[in-house]
Amino acid sequence: MTDKWKQLKQWPGWVVLGVVAVALLAFGSIRESGPRTSEERVEEISKQLACPICDGESVFESRNTASVAIRIQIKADVSAGAMGDDDIISKVAQVYGARVLLVPQATGIDALVWALPVAALVCAVAGLIVVFRRWKRAADTVPTADDRALVETAIREGLDES
Amino acid sequence: MSDTGRQTEPSRRRLAPLIVLAVAVVLGAFFVVLARSSGAGNDAVSSFLIDKPAPTAVGITLDGQRFDLSRRKGSWVVLNFFDPDCVPCVQEHPELVELDRQQTSVADGAELYTIINRGSDEAVAQWFADNGGDWPVVSDPSGSISVAFGVAQVPETWIIDPNGIVRARFAGPITADFVATQLQLLREATG
Amino acid sequence: MQAANLSINGVLGHSFLVIGLVASIFGALSLAYGTRVGDRRLLRSAPNYAWLSGATAVAAFATMIHALVTRDFSLAYVQQVGSRSTPALYNVTAAWSALEGSILLWLTVLAGYTTVIMRKYRKRLDDPLIAWALVVMFVVTAFFFLLSFGPADAFRSGAPGVTDGPGPNPLLQNHVLVLFHPPILYLGYVGFTVPFAFAIAALITGRVGEGWLLVTRRWALFAWGFLTVGIILGGWWSYEVLGWSGVWAWDPVENASFLPWLTGTAYLHSVLVQERRGMLRVWNLSLLIATFALTILGTFLTRSGVIKSVHAFSNSTIGPFLLAFFGVVVVVSLSLIAWRGDRLRSPGAIDSPISREGAFLANNVLFTVFAFVVLLGTVFPLIVEALQDRQIAVGPPFFDELSMPIGIALLFLMAVAPVLPWRKASGELLRERLFVPAWCGVLALLASILVGANGLAPLLAFGLAGFAAGAAGRQVALATRRQGWRGFVGRANGGMIVHLGVILVAVALTASNSYTHVGEFTMQQAQPVTFSGHTFELQQVTAFTTPRSKGLQAEISIDGGQAYSPAITRYTTMGTDIGTPSVRTGFANDIFLTLEKAANAGATEVQVKIFIKPLIVWLWIGGALMAIGTVLAGFPGRRRNPLLPTSADVVGLPVVGLPVVGLPVVGTPVPVEEQSASV
Repeated sequence: MTDKWKQLKQWPGWVVLGVVAVALLAFGSIRESGPRTSEERVEEISKQLACPICDGESVFESRNTASVAIRIQIKADVSAGAMGDDDIISKVAQVYGARVLLVPQATGIDALVWALPVAALVCAVAGLIVVFRRWKRAADTVPTADDRALVETAIREGLDES
Repeated sequence: MSDTGRQTEPSRRRLAPLIVLAVAVVLGAFFVVLARSSGAGNDAVSSFLIDKPAPTAVGITLDGQRFDLSRRKGSWVVLNFFDPDCVPCVQEHPELVELDRQQTSVADGAELYTIINRGSDEAVAQWFADNGGDWPVVSDPSGSISVAFGVAQVPETWIIDPNGIVRARFAGPITADFVATQLQLLREATG
Repeated sequence: MQAANLSINGVLGHSFLVIGLVASIFGALSLAYGTRVGDRRLLRSAPNYAWLSGATAVAAFATMIHALVTRDFSLAYVQQVGSRSTPALYNVTAAWSALEGSILLWLTVLAGYTTVIMRKYRKRLDDPLIAWALVVMFVVTAFFFLLSFGPADAFRSGAPGVTDGPGPNPLLQNHVLVLFHPPILYLGYVGFTVPFAFAIAALITGRVGEGWLLVTRRWALFAWGFLTVGIILGGWWSYEVLGWSGVWAWDPVENASFLPWLTGTAYLHSVLVQERRGMLRVWNLSLLIATFALTILGTFLTRSGVIKSVHAFSNSTIGPFLLAFFGVVVVVSLSLIAWRGDRLRSPGAIDSPISREGAFLANNVLFTVFAFVVLLGTVFPLIVEALQDRQIAVGPPFFDELSMPIGIALLFLMAVAPVLPWRKASGELLRERLFVPAWCGVLALLASILVGANGLAPLLAFGLAGFAAGAAGRQVALATRRQGWRGFVGRANGGMIVHLGVILVAVALTASNSYTHVGEFTMQQAQPVTFSGHTFELQQVTAFTTPRSKGLQAEISIDGGQAYSPAITRYTTMGTDIGTPSVRTGFANDIFLTLEKAANAGATEVQVKIFIKPLIVWLWIGGALMAIGTVLAGFPGRRRNPLLPTSADVVGLPVVGLPVVGLPVVGTPVPVEEQSASV
């Protein structure tokens, strides 16, 4: 039993696990969630728009007149059904200006906010690779007899003192 | 701490100051950005609508008349976005009363309209009865007019010229004299 | 309230602040000079200054509370946040509901930390490391005394003749959490000053071995625990009060507390590599310095009016002070690192990326990139404004989009890292140890699909959460089997409990962000509404009026049971509507009700929004588990014998008694308390 279990925990068990996990993920991710209610669509749209006056809140969160009015407008556009989410958003942004767009644009200097994190990740991973290369080289150097003697005396002294 | 391992890699010795320097440069630039930011500029008084045709604005006035901005062409129009529960709006009100008096007393004076999208019609009518002001008050319960204009925070005052072109936007309370002066300047500019 | 408008509270407060400022400066000077010239008498005088600055800060804070409770309207601050109609509780919390008071709270916590550190190490001031660390603490304390006395003067006298005020922001006076959230958050925020001070002291003295770590790691853990609880309580407050049913909005103020949490978390992991292997010294120092600098930067961003936020306080002159202090911190730290670069070089090497060390490095990369993303998103509008004079916004969708892949990668690491051995792992070993945890992940995936979850990212998150929980559970099971109840305490074991808490938080956030259902209904009495399998019926609508507000409350019964009463209040002075949600909490999901539009009094019809939010309660349970795990991690676990050689060079050999100054000490000796436990 233990031997079988040990064997199972090597390749066979993992292959089964991989197949099952991928199958479940595939099934789950293509499954339909059912139609969005119009409230959910309004919520999604209004979460991407900043309230024009309230310092960081989205239209979805905020309760001031302007946001309420924008929400009503979005609701009207959603129930009219003719416009897509992006059209509704850009319609509002055209009137209130780009500062109500909570999703930064991917053009011009604004694209930096998307590009810099990716650049940072790439730099960090590259840095790690360089460091590991260097460590590998350092690890290959064999300690000399002097080094070993130094360590040994140090340990012995430490043990004596305590 | 034996140094034998390190002498094989002299290049590392120069790496630390370089990294510190790079970090310092980035942080220095960041510092400059922070030091220069004012935090101001949130009082948007510009609008992409300026010098463009006014958006559609249709509603019903409190006394049951139909209001359509596009039908007001031919005269200067002042739109005031208002909420009786907003303190600055209430404080501004006597100035609007004065502005209305000035403009109606001259020939070719601007027409004043108040747009509201909060509070019940009866309450607003009562408020105007109590506080003066007999110009048309347009009810905009869905907020479509204020969204079309991009009104951020009431009170806001807009000027539309006789050709239906938006000419000015003022955020916050105004005074009668200020708006009258602006109207005069705009009239001269457009001939 | 005389003609001169001289307030006894104002005079008292100012005097306390001046005495505290002077005491802190004297404390810093006597320690710095005493250490330089070796004057023991000067060193021994330092504790008195710490007591004095601690006592005056507490006294100043007490004076403020007294002024607020007795409604002393001669003070400008009381005029700003006090009110005769505010209940006593919120008169106390008003102390930190605006800028000046919150700086005063910060100062009080900071001076408290300085006093505690001084008390703990008062017998070891001969040790330059301790002395310099306390110099740094005193300098930071002095800076905050200066802030509180100058640009953020809480005791300024106000305009004469004022007898009442508006009270705190209405949002800050309708939930008891405002009593706990800010002080706890500040205990965490300010607590990172302690490890920062020791890091700077280590750089100044050149004792960049592992000794300073032993002194500070528990302080870092302490601060981290409070910061964690503070952040979670903030989310809870937002959920219970703000009425948009969310817990986290990526608001600049929230980000300002999240940034030090991220770098602090990275530190708590990478410090283990340094303790075990003596490596990553510069990196760990930098993380602590960054954590502290980020607390100052965050305060600058949110308290100076540079960035607007709902939580931010109004403009003040405090900005240049904080920015200058941030600059000083950065310049001093960078110069010290550059100066001590030669001594900082770590010996040893990490042999394989597939090892505990390698996993911690990957963890650090992810947390640092995460912090970078949050900082970038927060300040990006400022950068665009500086470069192009244009206003843009960077909001929650941006942060959500970028934090999702980082979060999933972190969950994966959390699954794999705990079972990794130090130095090197073989594939065989990994397959053996990860087998059961991985199947836990598959089971979690299956379970979430069975209850109807969908979408790739949430399913991946649930599966990896199960995997990570399996790995953490495995470690706890092994540890308790080996060590009995001691298998729960100590850093590694407590850390696993924290991991379990984090996993709960991650699952709750994923579920509630992905599967919330919202519906909006116009409800009338005796006309039940059905939504998402629940029945809602309007029982009654009541209007209420207070001197400063008028509002409406609806009573709605859920499934024929208890009634819940969302309300909406219009504060007439501000003209804003503030909704008060009502929540039915459940283990599977919360039902969150808000009133949308204030109808007229006596109306029989109300506009109600219903949110069905799954698993929210597990967010708070996960937070509590994180707190418990942090406490467990703070207890001393079973120690490795420090004399056993590791691959790092042998530093930290215990030297009994005080170190002799001037002797070329390799690394810093292990502190006395630590030895007794280990030898």
